[in-house]
Amino acid sequence: MQLNTSASVISFAKQLEVDSAGFYDKMAERYPEAAELFLAFSKENNKYAMMIQRAYYEVITDAIEGCFAFSVETDKYTFERELAKEIGYANALNQAIDVEQKLISFYVDAAEQSKAFMADVPRTFLIIAKKRKAREDKLRVILKET
Amino acid sequence: MAILEEPIKGTVEVKNYIDGEWVESEGEIQDVVNPVNGKVIARVPISTKGEIDSAVEAAKAAFPDWRRTPPVARARCLFRLKELLEENFEELSRVQTQEHGKTIDESRGETRRGIENVEVACGIPTLMQGYNSEDIASGIDEYLIPTPLGVFGIIGPYNFPFMIPLWSAPYAVATGNCVVIKPSSEVPLSQMKIAELVDEAGFPPGAWNLVNGGRTVVNGMLDHPDIEGITFVGSTPTAKDVIYPRCGATGKRVIAQGGASNFMVIMPDCNLRATIPALMTSFFGNAGQRCLAGQNVIVVGDDDHFYKEFINGVVDTAKKIVIGNGLDEEVQMGPVRDTEKKKKILSYIDSGIKEGAKITLDGRRNFKIKGDYPDTCFLGATIMEYVKPEMKIVTEEIFGPTMGIIRVKTLDEAIEICDVNPFHNADAIFTSNGRTAREFKYRVKSGNIGINVGIVAPMAFFPFSGMRDSFFGILHTQGKEAVRFFTESKVVIERWP
Repeated sequence: MQLNTSASVISFAKQLEVDSAGFYDKMAERYPEAAELFLAFSKENNKYAMMIQRAYYEVITDAIEGCFAFSVETDKYTFERELAKEIGYANALNQAIDVEQKLISFYVDAAEQSKAFMADVPRTFLIIAKKRKAREDKLRVILKET
Repeated sequence: MAILEEPIKGTVEVKNYIDGEWVESEGEIQDVVNPVNGKVIARVPISTKGEIDSAVEAAKAAFPDWRRTPPVARARCLFRLKELLEENFEELSRVQTQEHGKTIDESRGETRRGIENVEVACGIPTLMQGYNSEDIASGIDEYLIPTPLGVFGIIGPYNFPFMIPLWSAPYAVATGNCVVIKPSSEVPLSQMKIAELVDEAGFPPGAWNLVNGGRTVVNGMLDHPDIEGITFVGSTPTAKDVIYPRCGATGKRVIAQGGASNFMVIMPDCNLRATIPALMTSFFGNAGQRCLAGQNVIVVGDDDHFYKEFINGVVDTAKKIVIGNGLDEEVQMGPVRDTEKKKKILSYIDSGIKEGAKITLDGRRNFKIKGDYPDTCFLGATIMEYVKPEMKIVTEEIFGPTMGIIRVKTLDEAIEICDVNPFHNADAIFTSNGRTAREFKYRVKSGNIGINVGIVAPMAFFPFSGMRDSFFGILHTQGKEAVRFFTESKVVIERWP
């Protein structure tokens, strides 16, 4: 599905955060050895969703191209939210890395598309992309140690 | 993606807010209809002369005490109002969409711009400072004190039900005046919601009043000897022939903002990728119902290849505009406000065709509405080529989702077309050449000028300008000019022998 309006892209971003928070909650439940870390990720996601909404509400005005700002293909960024029943820890970590990569690519693309219109919104997208890159690196270290 | 929940459930019985109380009107009642689905969402009173008189009386009675309230304390009321507006940001935005039809992005944008005016007015302790000169003669000092005047009337239009009264009201009350607001009876709910928050913010009774209605209320304001000034935003005939002369006749200050027929000048060196989305918002945003909307494009130069590329770009993009319920976040254009307005827009398109314009994209029919809604108030985007400057679709305000296209050879011709038009609200140029942009902004007689910007909406700390048939008065709404409008310059010359 293609999204063009700011409202729909912001809602999609918030939904990605909610879905990935749900994914990490499941990871925490399944792998208690790293539960603390996964729950922290989940909590951060809620913070990111709030950051996105705040940035949008603070800069949206009828003077900018809010309804024509984006061209986001949602299919590119959807990820597997469920953990397979018999999945091993290493594969689950790989799945988490995939989630992070999808989200990073969404935020980088959305920031690029909106930079001419939305002031603080692209900056917020890029901050989240950076934080998620750090998260991806952390997941890779754990994977290496597993 | 789901449609957002409607904040207005059932039918709201709208009341007036006078002297800090919600009071029922004795006037006749009119339905407020959601243009998306035709559902009655509210019933609004058309208030009587007696009711506008009591609002003015309450405001007059509240004035001496409110005026004596220190500006910092008045600002604190506005800070509380700002916080409440932020807390209710989403609900306030959805109410606008429900009563007007605009998209949720547009409503949120309107809410933000309204709040920005409250934020600017919060700076009133600084904004309202006077100035002084020591020793204008031996031992004599002179200084200026901006002082409030009393009661002001604020008359709002239907296209921005939330924001436009906030171009005036926060500055009026911040400077120590009291206000009576009359929203458009077609869209009264946003101002009702604001008045609820004003009440919660702790403004004293009578400082901020709301009277719903029509001509009786407007006439009551214009004729009332205790109203010091009026701000009005609406059509040019009303601004020019009613509000402005009547305020003059009764000695009132006046800001009367009228209609527009704005031009977007396209130079062949413009960045088309950035220009097209800007034009979509300018012409089709708010379904074209804004005084800053582009009405006609002037394409400069005889480069047929560029012209073709431009036309294909705008038509292809306009064709894909998602039309539907503004509470659906994917929707890019909502309906126009009502069937009468739709008829008027259609009649302008017909007149354009009769006068020789050619329809390139026909938004009168065969457009697709997302969702199951009647097409009662919907229109698609219309694009017309071969438009001439003397056609009615150029010389009059259409206020709908239409784009006329005029071709000229030189920038001089484009500027000439802008200048002979009776309206001068907002004109813009799209170019990558700084010299061309400077030439345009220097020569064009327009209140608001855009350079690579399609909606030239001044921020709250700048005046909302306008010239000729788009504006009647001297000072404008918003920012420092609004502060000047709502204050009298009291000059004191002082000597202590």
